[in-house]
Amino acid sequence: MAIVNLKDKTIQIKIVYYGPGRSGKTTNLEFIHNKLQQNRNQQISNLVSIDTKGDRTLFFDFFPVSLGKINGFDLKLKLYTTPGQVKYEATRRLVLKGVDGLVFVADSLTSRQDANLESFENLKSNLLYHKQSLSDVKLIFQWNKRDIDEKMIPLSPIEDMERLLNAELKVQSFPASATNGMNVLKTVNYISKETVKSVIEKTILNKHKMGN
Amino acid sequence: MNTVIREDTVTKVEKILQDFIEESGATYALITDMGGNPLFTAGEEDFDVDTLAALSAANYATTKEIANLIKEDNFSLLFHRGNNENVHFAKITQDILMIVLFKPFLSLGLLRLKINSLQQKIVSIIGS
Repeated sequence: MAIVNLKDKTIQIKIVYYGPGRSGKTTNLEFIHNKLQQNRNQQISNLVSIDTKGDRTLFFDFFPVSLGKINGFDLKLKLYTTPGQVKYEATRRLVLKGVDGLVFVADSLTSRQDANLESFENLKSNLLYHKQSLSDVKLIFQWNKRDIDEKMIPLSPIEDMERLLNAELKVQSFPASATNGMNVLKTVNYISKETVKSVIEKTILNKHKMGN
Repeated sequence: MNTVIREDTVTKVEKILQDFIEESGATYALITDMGGNPLFTAGEEDFDVDTLAALSAANYATTKEIANLIKEDNFSLLFHRGNNENVHFAKITQDILMIVLFKPFLSLGLLRLKINSLQQKIVSIIGS
C-alpha cells in the first residue's frame, strides 16, 4: 500500500523480492546497495539483513532508497526480500503486508523448477491472506543464475520458465545474474518505474481528475 | 489500495505528537503503518526513520504471530529496555502502530497512560 503524504510531498512505495530459497533475492539487493553506494554522492541507508548464522534470510533484508522527484513529490522506495525457505512461511507472509511491486526471482537451475512453481503458488496464497491478488500489484519475473555454465549444471531454457510461470500473466521478465549484476539494475529500474506509474495513476492523478 | 494523507491531517497529528513529547519528556515518536511506512513523526532523531519503521512493524507483527501461536489475543506490553534509550510499541488501530523512544529515567507506567490518552485523539483525526 503506497503512502502519499501531501504535506511532506513524499510517495513511499514497497517493493518485495520473492522466490524460492537460494534463488538470489538477497544477492540482488546486495548488488543494488553496493552500486548505489559506489555511484551516488548522497548517503545511502544501511542494508538491514536479518539472517541466520548460515547466511540464509530469516526474516527479510531491507533498505530504503530515494529516487528523486516526480510531479514535485519525493519518491522513496523500500526494497525488501522475503525468506525463501519453506519453513519461514509466517515471516514471509508478514513481509508482504502492504506490498506495491513484486520481483519474483526464479532459479534457472533445472532441478529447482518445482521449487519455483511451489514458491509462486505460495506467493498467490500469501497475497490472498492480505486480501490482495496478483492483479493488485505490479509483478515482474527475473530468471536468475543465467551466468552458470550449462556444461557444469543444467539450466532450464527461458522459454520453459516462461511457460511454467508466466504463460497466463505475460508480464515483463529479465534473464539475469545477481552475482555478476547482469540485468539486476534493469530489473529494479523497471519494477520501480511501473509501480510508481501505477501508484501515481491511482492516487495523485485520480484525485486531480476528481478535482480534489 | 493506496493511502493519501492530507496536509491538515499531517499537521494535526504531528502537533499532537509534539505536545506529547513536550509533556512526557519522551525523545521521539513515530507513527507507522503495519507495512512499515512512516506516516507521522515528532522529536529529534539520529537514525534512519524508514529502517526504524520497517523493523518496528516487523517486530510488532512477529509478536502478534507468537501470541496467536500460543492462543493469546495479543500481548498488552511490547517494550524494549536499553541503557540509554527505551522503546515502547503501541497499536493505535488495526493498521497503525506508534513507537515511542524515551530515556530510562522516565516512568513507563506514566508514559503508557499518556499514550493511551493519545490513541483516541489520533483515531479521531485519521479514522479507525
